[in-house]
Amino acid sequence: MGTAKARAPPRTPATPTQPVETSRYLPEKTFIIDNGAYMIKAGYASHAPASDESISGCSSIPNALVKTRDNKIVIGAQLATVSDWNEAMFRRPVEKGYVVNWEAEREIWDQSFFDGKVTSRNQNYHIADPEDTTLVLTEAPNALPILQRHADEMVMEEWGFGGYARCLGPTLNAWNEIHSLFGDPVSNTSDASILPADCLLVVDSGYSHTTVTPVYKGQALQRGIRRLDLGGKHLTNYLKEIVSMRQYNMVDETYIMNEVKEAVCYVSNDFSGDLEKAWKSGQKRQGGPEEGIVLDYVLPDPNANKKGFIRPHDPLLHAKKKKGAVSGLSAEVLSEDVLVLGNERFAVPELLFTPGDIGMKSAGVPDMILQSLSVLPTGLHSAFLANVLVVGGNALIPGFMERLETELRQIASAECVVRVRRAKDPVHSTWLGGTRLAANREELSKVSITRQEYQEYGSGWAVRRFAGLV
Amino acid sequence: MFRVELISDTSTATPGWSYAPTRGFDPTQAMAPTLGRKRGIRDTGKGGDISSRQANAIARHLAELDRENQRDVSIPVPVRQAREAGARGTRAKTTSNVRRILQSQKTFRNHLDDEEAAIASGSGGVGGMQGAGGASVVAAKGSKAAAMRRSATPASAVGIKRPSAAMGATGPSTPARVTTDAEADVNDEGRKPKLIKSEYDNDPLLRSYAPPVPSDRIMQRLLAEPPLSYNASRAKPQASGRPGRHFCSVWCVLVCPIEKDPGWSCSTDDFMN
Repeated sequence: MGTAKARAPPRTPATPTQPVETSRYLPEKTFIIDNGAYMIKAGYASHAPASDESISGCSSIPNALVKTRDNKIVIGAQLATVSDWNEAMFRRPVEKGYVVNWEAEREIWDQSFFDGKVTSRNQNYHIADPEDTTLVLTEAPNALPILQRHADEMVMEEWGFGGYARCLGPTLNAWNEIHSLFGDPVSNTSDASILPADCLLVVDSGYSHTTVTPVYKGQALQRGIRRLDLGGKHLTNYLKEIVSMRQYNMVDETYIMNEVKEAVCYVSNDFSGDLEKAWKSGQKRQGGPEEGIVLDYVLPDPNANKKGFIRPHDPLLHAKKKKGAVSGLSAEVLSEDVLVLGNERFAVPELLFTPGDIGMKSAGVPDMILQSLSVLPTGLHSAFLANVLVVGGNALIPGFMERLETELRQIASAECVVRVRRAKDPVHSTWLGGTRLAANREELSKVSITRQEYQEYGSGWAVRRFAGLV
Repeated sequence: MFRVELISDTSTATPGWSYAPTRGFDPTQAMAPTLGRKRGIRDTGKGGDISSRQANAIARHLAELDRENQRDVSIPVPVRQAREAGARGTRAKTTSNVRRILQSQKTFRNHLDDEEAAIASGSGGVGGMQGAGGASVVAAKGSKAAAMRRSATPASAVGIKRPSAAMGATGPSTPARVTTDAEADVNDEGRKPKLIKSEYDNDPLLRSYAPPVPSDRIMQRLLAEPPLSYNASRAKPQASGRPGRHFCSVWCVLVCPIEKDPGWSCSTDDFMN
């Protein structure tokens, strides 16, 4: 313990002009946790993060406690062992993007990162010696100060990390290599230290909300941050609700409906046209399976150990089933439960673009971007509109990017170039940005606090320090 | 006789009570089902076009979509004996802060209400956060930060209220579009608006300029601003005033092919055959 603290601070040879305080010790080893409401993305920053392979150092751990149908409680990474997801209940420590319930979060963190010994399986995310590790923890923008303080106190007092940086998740994306993504010439200063992009507008559409964050040189322009309280959870619940009203009662099947959503939903680029098409194909009663908007989703059958899957809609299936074995269907087909998905496929993700469809008095994502820009100097608008980066799980919904770019193009000023890009890996992009920040020791030490500083000044100071007030 | 009392703007933390500025009528408060439900129910809506009955239904629906599980269910964290004995052996003892946090059963809603109350009484935000190890120096800094925050608030509030008219305009931009933020520094270091190349460059009425990039000083000031509060960062209703889509309810939601007028209701024949 004592020897570790007394060690001289790690100096980076590239920074001779900035003398590092010798009393300040920030551990070299950096662990990054992107604490998402649905999934924790965690892992060590490697020393050579320039390549894309460093994503392999990232582990995704479900951020939930689950009670299965047979009343077993399963935590975090153990969720992979669950085979029967029917009627599974979830408890999530993260509400609205912020860790609210630390009792549950501690259990998940403990099991994932701290328990047991280092093995070949968990070496990527096992923290053997927190006091010799710097933690980079992400948080959602506009967090309540009390929750920030809770996070700081837990990190520093419960686990006792040697160094700690709490950063806004979206800002970390600016550290990624985004020039090639936008097709800009990559600067040839490969030997220079990693620097964040100048102007980047990050749209982060996750599980519990969607945020727009203008990031200038790696820092958020706070006044421009806007939030829409809709995310993947609401889409799943909405789909669940519609399906339960029209077909089977699926209200307790959150997990299964989430799978259905991921399998079938897409963002329509012609909403009324697609509505019409789905309506028409629903009218037809003849013909065999066909290509179109309407799909069948065969629900999973845990007893037969079968997963759910999609297949083209067969309008006659229902009639055939009624006839039973006479129709020549196999017993397998007769026993399966099928959801027919028509306009649900695109009406559900549509919420992100027109929240008014469920009566929410809020603008959709494209308009939110303009609201964000409207409070920033006009001179920056073109730079931000030309660098819109979309991260978060909802970016993976087919059609999302096209729709966002089209709508933004329509409402943005005509002289501005509008470029909307999806991060290469929208789910892990924030985590990856964290590893690149960690590679720039000088920047990292600017935004971090050490264990000693925390012990000296306390948690109130830490909150103000991370807010840039001290 | 009259009693004249000067209400101080600062937050002198008087135990028991304090003056809290009212910010006019708050629709979110009105929507809370516990407050004057009977009287409010048939009022025309605070949002203008919907009655408060509808507003309540929408709020309930949104709350429903925000749930993790359909039913309330308690999933306790499993008790671990090993924690105290084995795994925790190397760790320091649980501090009082940690114990308090772990025992807190507050939801986000509770915390948000606390924060809103603190903001209303002027002690909210990060500036109001006093350190556990709060020395006098720290406290002084804290109050300075709070003062900074207050002074910054009107500016950002103005910024938010400003409609996105400048962005909405699709015609050629003019130097007049440079807004107050940038105005002070337009002439700094020769920051001239850049001419946008077009075929009308020779026409003084039609040629257009790109607004200048703000100076470093402005950028530093913007970066130093404190975060907005949770509610202030919420996206506002659409500025364009495009009327919302209406689908007829229950069965017709999304089943009907056409978007309906609000007053229109479809007959059952439309979807029964």
